[in-house]
Amino acid sequence: MATHEKVDVVIVGAGASGSTYAAVLAKAGKKVVLLESGPDWQLSDLISSDFWGRRLKPAGAPFQLEGKNPYGYAYQAGWGVGGAALHYFANFPRLLPNDFKIKSEHGRALDWPISYEDVSPYYDKVADDVGVSGDAKAEEIWRPPGKPYPMPPMKTFKNGQVWLKGFEAAGIRMVPAAVGMNSTEYKGRPACLYDGWCHVGCPIGALANPLVTYLAEAKKAGAEVRARSTVTRVLTNPQGNKVTGVEYYDDRKEKQVQEASVVVLAAWSGQNPRIMLNSATDKHPKGLANGSGLLGKYMMAHFASGTWAMFDDDVENHMGTTGAQYMSYERYGKTDHKGAFGSTFIVAGTGQKTSDLGGFANARPDLFGSPLAEFMKRAKRGLTRIGAFGEEMPNIENRIELAGDKDEFGMPLAKIIHSFDQDAVALWNANFEEGLQIAKGTGAKEVWSARGNQPTIHLFGGTIMGTGADNSVVDSHGQTHEIANLYVAGPGIFPTEGASNPTYTIFALSLRGAEHLAKNWSAVAG
Amino acid sequence: MNPIQRRAFVKGAGLGALAFTVGGAQVLLTPAQARAEGVPLRTLKPDEAEAIEAIGEALVPDARKAGIANFIDQQISIPAEQALLEARILNVKPPYANFYRAAIGAINRASEARANKRFAELDAEHQHEFIDQMRQNKIDGWQGPPGGFVYFVMRSDAVDVVYGTMAGYEQLGIPYMPHIAPTQRW
Repeated sequence: MATHEKVDVVIVGAGASGSTYAAVLAKAGKKVVLLESGPDWQLSDLISSDFWGRRLKPAGAPFQLEGKNPYGYAYQAGWGVGGAALHYFANFPRLLPNDFKIKSEHGRALDWPISYEDVSPYYDKVADDVGVSGDAKAEEIWRPPGKPYPMPPMKTFKNGQVWLKGFEAAGIRMVPAAVGMNSTEYKGRPACLYDGWCHVGCPIGALANPLVTYLAEAKKAGAEVRARSTVTRVLTNPQGNKVTGVEYYDDRKEKQVQEASVVVLAAWSGQNPRIMLNSATDKHPKGLANGSGLLGKYMMAHFASGTWAMFDDDVENHMGTTGAQYMSYERYGKTDHKGAFGSTFIVAGTGQKTSDLGGFANARPDLFGSPLAEFMKRAKRGLTRIGAFGEEMPNIENRIELAGDKDEFGMPLAKIIHSFDQDAVALWNANFEEGLQIAKGTGAKEVWSARGNQPTIHLFGGTIMGTGADNSVVDSHGQTHEIANLYVAGPGIFPTEGASNPTYTIFALSLRGAEHLAKNWSAVAG
Repeated sequence: MNPIQRRAFVKGAGLGALAFTVGGAQVLLTPAQARAEGVPLRTLKPDEAEAIEAIGEALVPDARKAGIANFIDQQISIPAEQALLEARILNVKPPYANFYRAAIGAINRASEARANKRFAELDAEHQHEFIDQMRQNKIDGWQGPPGGFVYFVMRSDAVDVVYGTMAGYEQLGIPYMPHIAPTQRW
């Protein structure tokens, strides 16, 4: 085992949140090392193919999946430098003010220890940093004003436009989708080509992935990235009141120690609690920073209610991005659907491919043989869809815990135990019903719901933020309540999830946390 | 730079083709080429390949010719972290060969219990009926991964080889529009 020279900060994970921390801290003059368990992907690795795009996702199963609605993480998780933000759809909706105070307003779920106004300036900063296209003014029918986005909205295509009539008939206002993509050239990165390969990685840099945004800035400022470096434990001093670094296995599978003044856990929401639980000591017998007993608790997922429509006309469904062309917060109120609870975020218009989970062969998963072949011929011209993302409320029974089996490094695997409650099921059903109503209003030839098992999309919680160690793991900056020089970043710190795609908020909260850390460096690291 | 130039401005570095072993040497072929050239299987036994071809063809016409058995054989013969199978994103635990062997075994056991024939020996009508019941988890005495999941994974593989390639897009008449084209049109 080798012990590396002490650095200022070691960051575990080189995805959206880790890259943001790295950029801020490296530019502040700190010596930064990022440890990433997967490969060191380059833009030239991002092949336009659903097959090859799967390499960007985890292989293997360090998580055992249990519960009524097992959390299917492999499709959306990242593996390698860039993390999941290397293959995300780059939809950039914000959370809204009502997301931050559900308990206060409805007497259930949890409040955030901060408000929308605390995060809003960071949404604006991130937009300028990474490039966001959209129409901020149009969004202000639902949210407080902020800065305009730095680029105008993206182009729209028939596959999105054909839905507008149906939305209007249903009384749902749609506005240009805010996306982390370039509608025009931005900061030397080219404009999008609308080829629809975002979900397997954008090699031209028109989409704001970490390789062309915060990670590039971090490396330019001197941050070091060590790929294929798997962290198994966070190390603490004998008193248990400070972390001293991390233990990891390098690309030769040899054990290493990286000492650091500050540790930022920015692996994904499943892996951060796994590492913290595996870092238990006599001073932290239940896992690091787990005095509350809430480490690994309150795991949450989004679910989507998709609706398909088949038109006789050619709707150009090969054109566009994997992200949305239009979006709406019209059903974002927590009680907007009678008999259900939680927000809904609606999107329309997306470029489609033939295969993979989101491909149009799966628009009718019941078809096979010659009926499938016939369907594919029709679908290539006339098929389009909308989606309604639903919010799950935090439930303490949805959790991560260590399992008995171990991985190749001797680290215990973890279980993700997840079930949707009745409110989530009711909201899912309500959004299907409304989706069909909208689709019928378009005049499409055929419309149907994309029903199957209730999907689990995105993953939140496990290291939630709150006001103190009695009700949470971290504060609003991601700093653990019990160990000042241990931070957690990413959607794991969300105490509720809203219904918006999370990455914009991940960037914003990470920027907020990193700037706070840089500003208070002496107090935290001293 | 115009859009067409930019679409292809970064060229793939030989990353797109699959490596098949022919006469002790590795060659880059599409699965369809591998099948047409009779490339030996590395992991699947002949009866397993026969079953995969029969199931694949029943799920998606032309999957046999597109090389579904060669594709799966090649993919389960390489390290899991290099695999391109849809199983990877459906939380199937590696090694993936275990899943396919369990799936094929379940299908053939159920087929023999019902008709005293392996799945590949059933006529097209009975294959269709079998799959329809398998996808709905309605086959009595099924022993193996859930039938509906087997259906979904193997249907996805068949869709991949028939419709997910550049040739598949071309056949459907859909512009492929790659930024970085996979080599060998795969």
